[in-house]
Amino acid sequence: MIQFSQVTKRYPGGHEALSGVDLTIEKGELVFLTGHSGAGKSTLLKLIAAIERPTGGVLTVSGQNVGRLPRRALPYLRRNVGLVFQDHKLLFDRNVIENVVLPLDIAGFERRESFKRARAVLDKVGLLNREKANPISLSGGEQQRLCIARALVSRPALLLADEPTGNLDAGYAADIMAMFREFHRVGTTLVIATHDDRAITAMGGRVLQLDHGRVEARA
Amino acid sequence: MRAWLRHQKAALRGALARLAGQPFAGLLTAVAMGVAISLPAGLYLALDNLGRLAGGLPAQPEISLFIADDASAAQKTALAARLRQADIARARHVDKDTALAELSAAQDLADVTAGLPGNPLPDAWIVQPRDASRAALTRLADELGALPGVAETHLDSQWAERLAAALDLGRMGVWLLAALFAIALVAISGNAIRAQVLARRDEIQVSRLIGATDRYIRRPFLYLGALQGFFGGLASIGVLAGAGGLLQEPVAHLAGLYGSTFHLAPLAPPEWAAVLGLPALFGWLGAWLSVSRALGQVEATH
Repeated sequence: MIQFSQVTKRYPGGHEALSGVDLTIEKGELVFLTGHSGAGKSTLLKLIAAIERPTGGVLTVSGQNVGRLPRRALPYLRRNVGLVFQDHKLLFDRNVIENVVLPLDIAGFERRESFKRARAVLDKVGLLNREKANPISLSGGEQQRLCIARALVSRPALLLADEPTGNLDAGYAADIMAMFREFHRVGTTLVIATHDDRAITAMGGRVLQLDHGRVEARA
Repeated sequence: MRAWLRHQKAALRGALARLAGQPFAGLLTAVAMGVAISLPAGLYLALDNLGRLAGGLPAQPEISLFIADDASAAQKTALAARLRQADIARARHVDKDTALAELSAAQDLADVTAGLPGNPLPDAWIVQPRDASRAALTRLADELGALPGVAETHLDSQWAERLAAALDLGRMGVWLLAALFAIALVAISGNAIRAQVLARRDEIQVSRLIGATDRYIRRPFLYLGALQGFFGGLASIGVLAGAGGLLQEPVAHLAGLYGSTFHLAPLAPPEWAAVLGLPALFGWLGAWLSVSRALGQVEATH
């Protein structure tokens, strides 16, 4: 599903975040990215979502060469990728359910159908009773769950999560990881960047250790 | 197609909600636009009314043909035949006795004319050509003047021509002013939309991350710009109606003093459509320019 071959990302100013990465992630895999901060975890995720473009090598996602994709094709690529951010990136000018339907609005779904799907996914993350609330009134863990709900509502085949439990205490973090395990079970491909070693050992899955922009596989 | 319509509807609804959410800012923009539109539209209206006023007067140019005293009967017949041709709208023969009688009656000169030894006036034709353009008039007057038996021609159209030229100049001024204010509209709209785009940076960035196309992001702003232009047009119609209402009375009074029933005509429906539609178009254009530029900046910063 995702294939890196000799992918390099050098930011303007010369900092090389990834150096010659070779990596294949199969469909339905659960992959953890670990490593010290600045090792290139976020950059790797951004490349997969085409938020950043590689400066060298070839990266294909679902058979498409992401580096060569014209700008106007990017939105359609991103609609098949669910993104979970450490800082949630929720919109506080609208309530919980409006946040969740945004991807469906963008994709042009009918409103009634969108709301039905949004309620289903809110139910899955345990926020159905908060659908009318403003996200600012939610706790950190709830905000993260809302972000996950928004990432999942369009039923993407691939979910990318950047430090999804980074700001959460242990109980919330375990909840979130349990949720991810559930998605993995139903066939979603997951790539999760995290520091949370406990979660990794609890969940199994492949672990990729990044160090100064290079990948070192770990059992 | 249905998704497209849904997007349009959602964008329009979003734009309306945004306007309703900031009524004061929206009102200020509408007033600024309304004033900008009112100037060319008002001038247009004034010229339109002036043109109508001039059209009500006998502005139809006439050529007077004076027949030579020694013209033969054959020459007179030939001339009359020439004046029945297709390029002449109307030709009226005024023989010198009738002319003298009219002169005496109209100008109260009976005493003077009675004292004259003979009739000094010539026989004449008053000719209205079909083509009233200046070139055609001059050509026709020259042609008729060259006919045998014609002593003199007099082209009686100067004042009408001058008025028409002044109105033409005024109309050109209206277009010039309209073009300038169209640019002002684009600028006002672009500025208002720019503020909106910057206020919604987060939403734009998030939308991009979850697969929004540039068109999707741009759409509500375009509707917002068009709506602001439309409301600006409404405001300008309000301004024009107000000014018209204030002027109606004094104009009627002035016209009354000249024995005329002239009154100010308001905008006609197609002009309404133009005053509402063109600002909407320019508002849209300003929004497009502004949002495209701002989108580039948002792109660069994430």
